[in-house]
This record gives sequence, C-alpha cells and structure tokens, in this order.
Amino acid sequence: MTPFLRKFRVLFSTQFALMTEYRAEIVIWMLSGTLSLVMMLVWMGQAAAAPGGQIRGFSASDFASYFLATWFVGQLLVVWVAWELDFEVRQGTLSPKLLRPMDPMWGHYSGHVAEKIVRFPIMLVLVGLFAWLAEARFSLDWRVYAAVLGLVILGFTVRFLWEYSLGLLAFWTESSTSFQEVVWLVYAALGGLFAPLAFYPQWVQDIAVWTPFPYMLGLPASLIAGKATLEQAGQGMLVLLGWLAVFVLVRVWVWRVGLRKYGAVGA
Amino acid sequence: MTRYLRLIRIFTGATISAQLEYRANFLGAVLASLGEVGVALLGIAVLFGQPGTVSVGGYSFHQALLVVGFFMLTEGFISVFVQPNMSKIAEAVRTGSMDFTLLKPIDAQFNVSTRNLNVLRVTDILIGLGLIFYAASFLTVTLGGVLAAAVMYLSALVIVYCIWLALSTTAFWFVKTQNMSELFNGVFGAGRFPVTAFPVPVRAFLTFVVPIAFITTVPAQALTGGLSTLLALASPLVAAVLFVGSRLFWKKAVGSYTSASS
Repeated sequence: MTPFLRKFRVLFSTQFALMTEYRAEIVIWMLSGTLSLVMMLVWMGQAAAAPGGQIRGFSASDFASYFLATWFVGQLLVVWVAWELDFEVRQGTLSPKLLRPMDPMWGHYSGHVAEKIVRFPIMLVLVGLFAWLAEARFSLDWRVYAAVLGLVILGFTVRFLWEYSLGLLAFWTESSTSFQEVVWLVYAALGGLFAPLAFYPQWVQDIAVWTPFPYMLGLPASLIAGKATLEQAGQGMLVLLGWLAVFVLVRVWVWRVGLRKYGAVGA
Repeated sequence: MTRYLRLIRIFTGATISAQLEYRANFLGAVLASLGEVGVALLGIAVLFGQPGTVSVGGYSFHQALLVVGFFMLTEGFISVFVQPNMSKIAEAVRTGSMDFTLLKPIDAQFNVSTRNLNVLRVTDILIGLGLIFYAASFLTVTLGGVLAAAVMYLSALVIVYCIWLALSTTAFWFVKTQNMSELFNGVFGAGRFPVTAFPVPVRAFLTFVVPIAFITTVPAQALTGGLSTLLALASPLVAAVLFVGSRLFWKKAVGSYTSASS
C-alpha cells in the first residue's frame, strides 16, 4: 500500500467516526433540502389539472419518479466544503493543516465521502417512503444503476472541485460563500431541479449541454425515472471527465496563487 | 410602553453601528438576496413557460408573482429582524449568558427578540416590495383589498415570529437548535407557490399543521379580493393563538432554566 493510500485510509476512518456521531444532524440536513420535493408536488398538481393528465408527456407519476430521483441524486451531490474553507481561512485553523505531509483537500474529500456513506441508508428509507406515497416508479435495470453510480461519482468530484475553488476565494474576499450560493442557483436551474431540462426554452438547453450541470443531476435522475438511455449516460460521463480535468487544473491554480496571499491570523 | 420604544431605538442604533463596521459583507448579502429571488422566480417561470399553461393552482402569472413577492418580503423580515435574534438564544443558553438577559429589569422575551438586526439583508425586503408593486400593477386592486392584505400580512408576521420563537425556545432543553431553523426554512420553501398549487393532502398540511398558507398565499388573496371570509377570520385568530401559546412556552422555558454548568 502506498503511503498516500494509507494516509487517506486513516483520514477516512476518522471522518467516518465523526460523521456517525452527527447522524441526527444528517437527517435534518437532508430534510432541509426540500426544493425538488416542493417542485415535485407543484408539478404533480399541474399534471393532474392539465387536459389529458400530462404535461409534455409527463404524468403525475412520471413527475414523482423524476423529482424523487433528483432529490436522491442531489443528496449524493451535496458539498459544503466552501463553508469549511471560509471558516478555516478566516480563523487561521488552516495553518496547522499546511504542516501535514498531504494536501488539506484530501481531508475534506474523505469527510464528504464518509458523510455520504452515513447518509445513504437513511436516504433509501426516505425515498422508499416518498415513492410509496407519491406512486413513483423507478427503473428496474441494474445497468442503469451502475451508470448512475458512475455519473454520481464523477459529478460529485466535479462539484467538489468547483466548490473547493470557490471556497478558496476566501483568501481574497469574505463573501466567498455568497458566490457559492449564486453558482448553486445555476447548478440547480441547469441541473434540472426546477423541471426536467426538456421543459426549458431551446436556447437555455443549447447553453446547458456545454455545462457539467445536466449530466451530474438531471441525467442520472432521468435514468432512474426511465426517461434516458444508457448511450446518453456514456456521453454524459465523457463530458464530465472533460470538466473534471478542467476543475482539477483550476483548483490547483487557485490553491497555489491563494497560498501566496494567505497570511495566518496573528502572523 | 414609551420605555420599550426608547429601548428599541437604542438597540437599533447599537446594532446598526456594529454592522457598519463590516460594510464589505454587503456584497455578499446582495448576492444572497439575488440567489433567493432567483430560485423563486425560476420556479414560477418554468411552470408558466410550458405551452398552454395559463394558471398554476388557479393563479395567473401576476397573482403567482404576488405570492413570490410576499415570500421574499417574509424572507427579508426573517433575515433582518427574526433570525439575528433567535439564533442567539441557543448560544446564550449554552454559555450561560442568558443569566444577564434574565437579570435585566425589562421583559426578557422583549429583550431577546429586539436586541439585534441584520440590516444588510434589507435588500430582500426591497425586492419583495418591488415584486408586490410590480405584480399588483397588472391586477385590479381596491383600497379595501390593500387594507385587508395589510391586516393579513401583519398576522402573517406574528405567525412567523411565534414559530421561530417557539422553535428557538426549545434551546432551553435541547441546547443545539440551529437545525430547527434549517427545518423551518425547508418547509417554508413551499411558500414560494400559492398553496392551491399543491395536491389536496399537502394543502391541508400547509394550512393546518404548519400555517405556511397564511404567510404568503392569504395576503396575496386578500390583495386581489379573492379571500374567503373563513380564512380572513382564521388568520388573525391563528396569529393570536400562536402569540399566547409561544409566550406561555417561553415563560415555562425560562422557569426551568438553571444556567450553564449547574
């Protein structure tokens, strides 16, 4: 085992122990992200009121499937690293981490992954309950879930890297978490949190296909709801790989420039 | 009474001068407001953007926009007046500094509710008012409607304050309560849409269990004259019941307070 993997394993096990301590909070954080559930209910009401019971080929049950899947995928893509970096840079707690023989990013990354593992079983229970209440139907093809897993891992890593880069703006400004919120809005809109991407005007869709957002959120959700094909999943993974390369470079660059700017509190 | 008004003036002056120390945060606050209104407007825009959609839950576009306006106004009210105070209750209980609040010769609930303001988020209130005026200019609004809406919205503000107070008061027993406000925000997100846009069981939940309907939908209905007498009477009643209830709850909590480390 390489020294890097050994260090990562130790970080991961401490973070996992930490996150299981916070399991009650994790449930509450999950329940506070309700936007896709609210949108689901509104769209279900719209479909029920529409002539023929459908809007653009989506029935109330289709909307339930799509939005519950978005909620599920969105939960796996949650990243809060910008807040942690903002805190660490302003309070100076970043300094001791710089002395460690490892980029502090890995500590945050392992913490996020550990939290997802704690979150996962609770999510399954809640999705099952909501699906039963809203009469949602999910794909039964195992290959779909393999593709979803691939897209979610790529999408999560891409999002982690862009959030990390935004969080590092704390070296220059005290408003970095506000930039994060504005970027979240673009992610939510183009990712398909408000409606499936096909419901947007054509020009928005034309822009969206060049961004990573639809492939990390809307595409896996559509796959689970049975509204997308495996070929589309393959294309989505290629796009995400491209964006992954971009954000790896951006993150490294911001980190290098930012560190030179960093003067610890009290120094 | 005049003593309390004078205190509000002193508190406001102190908190504003403290905040002006951090003027650079204003940019962040503006971005946060824009993000907030963006979420609400995008939701409405996509719904009405579908071909053939002229109404959502029986609301025309401008009526739905009115609801968004009341939602933003309430967001602003919470960010400016309610949350800066309520978030400090848990902290004061945990560190024991609630002792000093309780020792002061003024009503403790008044003190914890008015001491702080977050003036930076006043942009939310301005955006909310702007949306309401814009949407109302496309609708027929009577003087009676405006008065009714004012009364309904006043009740709504009381309801919001009482829910927050009750949630924050649980800090006397549970200590950690920031998560309570997260939960409130999660449910309150449904207030971006007219309550009639939801399926019937959810509508009942949002009216009777968590009274979100009274906060954004009822004032909008009152302004356009579509309010039923039953709801018009229910809103101030709910506000009054919650006000007395949360006051009693606060009293009980303070009565069981034993300070930190004792």
